[in-house]
Amino acid sequence: MSLWRLEWLRLLRTRRWIALLGVYVFFGLLGPLSARYLGEIVERFGGGVQVTFPPPVPADGMIQYVSNVSQVGLLVAVVVAAGSLTFDAKPEMGVFLRTRVRRIWDILFPRLAVSFIAIGAAFVLGSLAAWYETVVLIGTLPAGATLTGIAFGLLYLALVVAIVAAAGSRAKSVLGAVLVTIVVLLAMPIIGIVESVGRWLPSHLVGALADLPGGAAVDDFLPAAAVTVLMIGLAVWLAVRWAERREL
Amino acid sequence: MIISTHHLRKEYGSTVALDDVELRVPIGSVYGLVGPNGAGKTTLLGILAGLRQPTNGTIDIEAPWSKVAVLPDTPQFDPWLTGREVVDLARALVDPSVPIQRVDAVVEQAGLADAAHRTVGDYSRGMLQRLGVAATVVGNPTLLMLDEPSSALDPAGRREVLDLVARLRGEATVIFSSHILSDVQEVCDTVGILRNGELLFQGPISDLLVGSAVPDFLLRVRPPVDDAFASLRNAPWVRSVARVGQDALRISVRSAEDAERHLAETLAGSGARIVSFTPEAATLEQVFLELMS
Repeated sequence: MSLWRLEWLRLLRTRRWIALLGVYVFFGLLGPLSARYLGEIVERFGGGVQVTFPPPVPADGMIQYVSNVSQVGLLVAVVVAAGSLTFDAKPEMGVFLRTRVRRIWDILFPRLAVSFIAIGAAFVLGSLAAWYETVVLIGTLPAGATLTGIAFGLLYLALVVAIVAAAGSRAKSVLGAVLVTIVVLLAMPIIGIVESVGRWLPSHLVGALADLPGGAAVDDFLPAAAVTVLMIGLAVWLAVRWAERREL
Repeated sequence: MIISTHHLRKEYGSTVALDDVELRVPIGSVYGLVGPNGAGKTTLLGILAGLRQPTNGTIDIEAPWSKVAVLPDTPQFDPWLTGREVVDLARALVDPSVPIQRVDAVVEQAGLADAAHRTVGDYSRGMLQRLGVAATVVGNPTLLMLDEPSSALDPAGRREVLDLVARLRGEATVIFSSHILSDVQEVCDTVGILRNGELLFQGPISDLLVGSAVPDFLLRVRPPVDDAFASLRNAPWVRSVARVGQDALRISVRSAEDAERHLAETLAGSGARIVSFTPEAATLEQVFLELMS
């Protein structure tokens, strides 16, 4: 039994992998479907109101997917990551681990890595499902732009996991870590309302998978990607530093 | 000494949790750390375990980190792991070279062989405590820090933990924090008494009991006890006499030798009919309460 296997078992035995995969793949299948049949859905449930939509384009499938997973999917991802990364939430469990490793990094790294891999895998599978269904229902998507959008989405999720780690190193409970992370994540798009600042913020990457297949330029996302990489480093550094200084 | 602290001090805001503690733990000893609630026992163990930082002072521990094991008072583990997996995780983290068979051996010693493959979430509190002990000893530590290891256990579980600590004597140094003084007196050879963050006494438990305790004797006679009481009260070698019920006297003397030499003669002179005469050994609890007062 190693700390890596411990995290793997945490995903399997607590069924967290089902929550992650279920949410991302569900929205991956639902997004293009709702984009394709939006007119019919509104007509059926709109009480006789006639609404005319323009014919869907392939990018609409990814737009629907991204808008769903950037809320519900992200919340599930934060909760799953916090459950793993807030390892001092029960001090006795923290004592068990802390008194048996040389460095706090030995505890933190497997949790960071496995959380990111699980969340990232769910996001990729959901994206592939959305891509496939978009092709089937609406039309083809440019492969290069879609893959680049997925890569930017993964980068953003890596930042989310790193922020959870930093919050978990200070918070006294899993719920506390979740709330702090959500506040930080919500603050970014609010600050991003200022257009000159917005394209530098990591939250700008959330829309990459929706915008790039629709024709947006990759260059438009590079400043945010660079800032995200720096922020990942900062958040991980803070997570280690705060965890080292924490007293149980 | 396997542990020495020098001018150890810990403050939580304006509260002083430990004040100038000079702990000395001899190699191979079973060291009992006692004190009332809030005395600083858990803080001291936390600092020794590296879980808390001292405000001032230094600590010398003459043992490699992988051979130091810590057991908190209420051990908890991920509830979806089996008991065996918990112990195996402890083994792998502390010393992966320890053979896997050692896991099964300590699980069995802890009385958990039948529950080894059940998830920890189904364990009782006593089972969790015993699992904690198993996870603590699996790496063959040379220094164990046990924080109130028997406080949550039923009498049978408590007996098992005490026996385990007793078995470790000679194989490892044990620091054993407890407020159950009879447990400390039973298994420890050295004791440190903390009060309000200060170490009031530290040394062999025998020194504490002999050095602090006044020899007492319990005398039972056929009632009435008045004549015996009067004779003993006037005897120059008696420090005090107290009635215990209708037919007994507790006699404090200056020395055991005086009592052995003069007691029979004094009682014979008083005409008392003696039923029994028993020396009363001081207990750690008596000494502790004396120190606390």
